[in-house]
Amino acid sequence: MIEAKSVCLKYSDGTIALRNVDLQVEPGDMVYITGPSGSGKTSLLKLFMGVEYPTSGSLEVLGQPIAKGQASEIRQLRRSIGPVFQEFKLIKGRTALENVMLGMRFLDIPQRRLREDATTALVKVGLEHKILSLVENLSWGEGQRVAIARAVARQPLLILADEPTGNLDKDNALNILELLTSFKNRNTAVIITTHATHLLEGIKEGRLIHVDNGSIHQERLG
Amino acid sequence: MRNILYNTGYFLKEAKAIIKLNLLSNIFSLLSTGLIFFILTMVSSGWWISSQVVETIQGEAEVSVYFKEDIKNNDVMKLIEDIKTIAGVREVRLVDEDEAYSRMVEILGNEAKVLSYLDDNPFNPFIEVKIHLENMESVVKNLSHIKGIEQIRDNREALERLHSIAEVLKILGYLVVAAVAISTLVIISHIIRMGIYDNRDQINTLRLLGAPEMFIAFPFLLEGLMLTIGGGLLAATLSAFSLKYFYAQMAGPLPFIPLPPREALVGRLITLVILLSAIMGVTGSLFGLSSAKND
Repeated sequence: MIEAKSVCLKYSDGTIALRNVDLQVEPGDMVYITGPSGSGKTSLLKLFMGVEYPTSGSLEVLGQPIAKGQASEIRQLRRSIGPVFQEFKLIKGRTALENVMLGMRFLDIPQRRLREDATTALVKVGLEHKILSLVENLSWGEGQRVAIARAVARQPLLILADEPTGNLDKDNALNILELLTSFKNRNTAVIITTHATHLLEGIKEGRLIHVDNGSIHQERLG
Repeated sequence: MRNILYNTGYFLKEAKAIIKLNLLSNIFSLLSTGLIFFILTMVSSGWWISSQVVETIQGEAEVSVYFKEDIKNNDVMKLIEDIKTIAGVREVRLVDEDEAYSRMVEILGNEAKVLSYLDDNPFNPFIEVKIHLENMESVVKNLSHIKGIEQIRDNREALERLHSIAEVLKILGYLVVAAVAISTLVIISHIIRMGIYDNRDQINTLRLLGAPEMFIAFPFLLEGLMLTIGGGLLAATLSAFSLKYFYAQMAGPLPFIPLPPREALVGRLITLVILLSAIMGVTGSLFGLSSAKND
C-alpha cells in the first residue's frame, strides 16, 4: 500500500523535513505517527498525498510512484485516499451534507447513491442532527467530524488524518481516535498523526511511528 | 463527461455562488458585454441593410432615356426597338406622363400633396431601359449614338456611392467584431480570474481530494457563459427595440429605400449575437482559467 525506501525531503528553503525514511504500510494497518511540532509528521502525509515529492529515495502509494511528472496519476491516486486535514478544509456556505457529497461527486459513485452514502457517513460520525447545518455554524469538534465523514464516505483505501486531535480536550480527542480507528478494515489502512503522545497510552493495537527531526523509529503497540 | 452531466445541478449552483460572491463586478461585466454586443448588432445591421440596399438597387440598374418632345409616336416605337438591339439591355418600356406622375406620388408618399399645387403634369414621358450593371458604360455609349435621344440619365453614381458606403460599413464591421472579441475576452477572463482567486481555498481542497481539472473549471466556464449570454440577450433586446424605432422612422420620410424585412433582420441579429456571446463566453473563461493556472 505504501512503500517508502530511503525517502528524503528537503524544502526549497533548505529545510530538511525527512531523512532516509523507510516505511511499509499494508492494507488494514492502523498507524499512529507521533512527534513534536515540526518533526516531519505533516511532511510525511504530504508525501503520501503527492503534495510533495521525495528529494531522494523512492515512494509508492497504492502502487503509484510519487514523483514529478506524474501529476495526472497522482490526481487519480488522491481519489482513493480519504484525507482529514488539520484545518478540515470544509467549504463555507455549504451544509455538512453538501461538503461530504462534494468529495464524492467526481468519483464513480452512482448518482442515486451519492446522497445516501454521504448521509450514512454523517450518521456514522454522529452528526445525523446537523446534516443540513452550514459548516460555519458547527463547533470545532463537529467540523472535524464532517471532515472525517467526507473522508470515509469516499470509501478510500487509505485514510490520512493530520492532527485530528488538535484543539480537542482529552475525551473528545479519544472519541475521534476511536472513530477513525473504527474505519480501519481488511482493505483500508488508517494513518493518524498526533503530537499528543499521551492519547495513545491506552491503545493496544496498531503501529506507532515516532518522528523526530525527520527520522523515524517504529514500534508495534499492544 | 458522465460526471459533468450528473453534476449539472451542482455546477449551476456553484456558478451562481461564484457570481454572488462578486455580484457587483459580475453585474457590471454583464452590462458592459451587453453594451459591447449592442454596438456590434447596430454596426452589423447597418452593414446588412446597406448590403441589401446595394444588392436591390444593383438588380434594378437602369437608364432613363428622354427623347425630343416633338417626336412622333411611331418614331418613339422605333426608338424602343433600336434600344432593344443594344447588347446588355434586358428590358425596354415606355413610361408615359401619367405613370411618371404616379411613380413620383408613390416616392413622395405623404409629401405628394405638393404635386397638387401644380396646374399641369410636370413630368415628361421617357423610355425606361433595364440593363445588366456591368454593361452600363457600353449601353450609355451606344444610346448616345441614337438619333432622337435628348438626355440619358443613369443611376451609376448613386450605385457607386452606395457601394462605397457598404464597403466602409463592412470594414467598420470587421473592426467592431475584433474590438468586441478583444474587450469581451478581457472582461470575461478578468472576472473568471477574480472568481478563481476568491475561491482558491475551495479549488485547492478539490485538488487535494483528486477532483479533475474539468470538474473544478466547469462552474467558472458556466459563469463566463452566463455573463456573455446574459449580455447577448440584453444586446438582442436593445437591438430589437432600436430597429423597430429605426424602421418606423424610415417608413415615413424615406419610403423608397428598400430595407430588408425587419423580422428577418432581428432574427438574424439575435442568432448572431447569441452564438457569438456563447463562443466569447467559453473562450474568455478558458483564457481566464489558463492565465489563473499559470499564476
